[in-house]
Amino acid sequence: MIDCSKALPFLLVSLLISTLLGWLAFTQAVAGEVESSGFGAVAIPQPHKPDNASACVEPLDIMRREHMNLLLHQRDATVLDGERDGNYSLVGCMDCHNPAASAETVIRYPDPQHFCAGCHLYASVKIDCFECHADRGLAKIEQGRLADSNVAQPGSGLLSLQTFQMQLGDTGGD
Amino acid sequence: MATELDNIEIRPARRRFVQGAAALATTLIAPGILLYKTGQASSNGAAKTPRWGLLIDTNALSEADVDACVSACQREHGWHSEAGSATDAQWIRKLRLSDERSGQQQFLPMMCQHCADPPCVDVCPTGASFKRDDGIVLVNKHTCIGCRYCMMACPYKARSFIHETLYDQLPVAPRGKGTVESCTLCVHRIDRDGANAVPACAEAVNRGEHKAILFGDLNDPQSEISQRLKSHGATRIRADLGVDPGVRYQGL
Amino acid sequence: MRTIYSEIRTSSPQYWGLLAVFAVITALGIAAAHRMEVEGHHISGMSNQVVWGLPHVFAIFLIVAASGALNLASLASVFNKAEYKPLARFSAILSIALLIGGLAILLLDLGRPDRLIVAITHYNFKSIFAWNILLYSGFIVIVLAYLWLMMERRLEHWSRPVGMFAFAWRLILTSGTGSIFGFLVAREAYDSALLAPMFIVMSFAFGLAMFILLLLLSFRLDRRELDASHLQRLRKLLGLFCIGILYFVLLFHLTKLYGSQNHAYERFILLDGGVYTWLFWLFQIGLGSLLPLLLLYSARWQHSPRSLVLACLLIIQGAFAQLYVIIIGGQAFPLNLFPGYRVDSSFFDGVINTYSPSLWELLLGCGGLTSALLIALLVVRVLPILPQNLPGAQN
Ligand code: SF4
Repeated sequence: MIDCSKALPFLLVSLLISTLLGWLAFTQAVAGEVESSGFGAVAIPQPHKPDNASACVEPLDIMRREHMNLLLHQRDATVLDGERDGNYSLVGCMDCHNPAASAETVIRYPDPQHFCAGCHLYASVKIDCFECHADRGLAKIEQGRLADSNVAQPGSGLLSLQTFQMQLGDTGGD
Repeated sequence: MATELDNIEIRPARRRFVQGAAALATTLIAPGILLYKTGQASSNGAAKTPRWGLLIDTNALSEADVDACVSACQREHGWHSEAGSATDAQWIRKLRLSDERSGQQQFLPMMCQHCADPPCVDVCPTGASFKRDDGIVLVNKHTCIGCRYCMMACPYKARSFIHETLYDQLPVAPRGKGTVESCTLCVHRIDRDGANAVPACAEAVNRGEHKAILFGDLNDPQSEISQRLKSHGATRIRADLGVDPGVRYQGL
Repeated sequence: MRTIYSEIRTSSPQYWGLLAVFAVITALGIAAAHRMEVEGHHISGMSNQVVWGLPHVFAIFLIVAASGALNLASLASVFNKAEYKPLARFSAILSIALLIGGLAILLLDLGRPDRLIVAITHYNFKSIFAWNILLYSGFIVIVLAYLWLMMERRLEHWSRPVGMFAFAWRLILTSGTGSIFGFLVAREAYDSALLAPMFIVMSFAFGLAMFILLLLLSFRLDRRELDASHLQRLRKLLGLFCIGILYFVLLFHLTKLYGSQNHAYERFILLDGGVYTWLFWLFQIGLGSLLPLLLLYSARWQHSPRSLVLACLLIIQGAFAQLYVIIIGGQAFPLNLFPGYRVDSSFFDGVINTYSPSLWELLLGCGGLTSALLIALLVVRVLPILPQNLPGAQN
């Protein structure tokens, strides 16, 4: 049989250590993502609001509660049925809610300054929209591309940069 | 959720949503069951559903034309392929055929053939690879798990797997690492313009009267494409497999 | 005589050392998979031409061997061979462990492994892949039930019907695995109904080879006694399965050669396919089939346990060679879109595709293999799976 007298303290100690490590990792992670004002207190996100648009497609409280369902529903209608005239497209969101800051800086999704990321990090809800969708509106992309051909940050979309250059080179081609 | 929303003043935009809410609720409870509704509701409508297809006249296409098709598609959807890269995506590609005996050469664009019985749809474990009512074969990237079985099954090598992280995709063509993609027949244009749509590749090469790449409804006997198929005939590539591609070739 | 089962109790450095090595390789495999997910598959050797690579070779090997590892349990309960009874429990455990290892590789190699939930909740019932998901998960449940019935004395009489069910299930499962390839009508390398029965025979041999090795290993680690008569029986069985594989390989290539449309493909594999031809003739046929047969049957080595171990190892390397030729060689050969024409393009039409596996893929594959071994070696330590000794047969 197993010798319980040794097993118990061993278990307790390892439990303690792993819990401590877990807490340490957690607080580190939080501090890294959202500005933290101390142990356990995380700053409430202040998502950047577009300055040119007067109102969202729905009242604020509905958007807050339902945006995921609206998006999900329209997503399937678009992909499966080809209904593209809905109001609730992710592209639409990104057109208005271009991430803050100037044209020169690119704010990618996991950055807490990104409109979506602020709250999602705060609420710790993982989304994978931006694995396939652009995380900023087309206008912003073009603006960035015109302002600075060096859009690609280290490690960022090599492919898309090439696409841009190709598009630039091709204009007036046909 | 539906009840909550019922209490709020209903605007037109919302009405659509509320109508869909019941369906949505079902989708949330029984995912996967409702999603197939579209795929199956195809043939019973009284009004004939279209089946979109292309008729490609290879005699009217020079090598430069085929290149123009490819770059038009790249511009339209924002994909790019380094020469010689084995991992970059190619939605459409230029094929050179050389007759082994006479040495005669021909160029043609090759892309997803939008089969009536697509093997990629049959093999896809999640149903992400699907055929729309109107015959367009697409990948629903929200449910694609990136198993690549569809690429194994496709007779035309029409599909590509995305091997790298992408940014700044174009709004009409969301595409991302770990999923599979292929020619969409410019579905965003078709959804907007219906039978008058012109896919980007066709737009790049059609000049004057004769359309080297003709888009149209294969189910409508009056359509230009059906008429031309009737009078001139056309080839289905790998017709022996019986998948009935919606892209047909003339002059092969 | 009642067989007494017990947990292995060794605390020898060999046992723990082996576990540690397996654990480290498994961890490396997981890390490699994670890297591949973060970076994208471009760090693997796989491409748009060769879409399934080394991980799939490992995964299919493990899945096929898993089904075969159940052989001895089936022999005992379905075919009433009492002499195999003591090994039935281990056979069941090993088969579950191998299957888990294989499935883990398949899952981790997906482009989006984070969407496991999608794979579980969305089924396309026309897809052989989807059937396989059901077959694999069903297999684990059935074999677990079977194992429990074997271990619970009061319910032991139930183990026979459940064992039969498990036997039928695993035949279907391996047919399903073979059909993943067999139904790919567009590719010359596959498109054959023979692949399903061929995979079944392959599963018999690969599974038995893995079983023998692990049985010897765990007996040896715990210093248990194993009479040579048991090994002799297994040796005969293994030889039989080996011949079976050869027969099916022959049949497969003959049917392909019969229709002239497949001559180019056959030429590629059998004559001038470079690495695939070498793998086929030298590693699969020569070292993986003929040499083991010699070791198993020749009067000279017939009684040495060493020759049995060597034969098992050779069969396993032959299994990898065979699966590599089937899976990767089959994709390296280009699709034939226009018979009679030479085709070329920027997308590798009409050329033999190249593939060289990367370290990440190798690690992922090995990680899956070692995770299966790890599970097996751990379970025999905590559950009474192995018989305390296997003395000579009474009959
Ligand atoms: S890669 Fe995606 S679309 Fe293709 S079969 Fe797998 S899940 Fe379906």
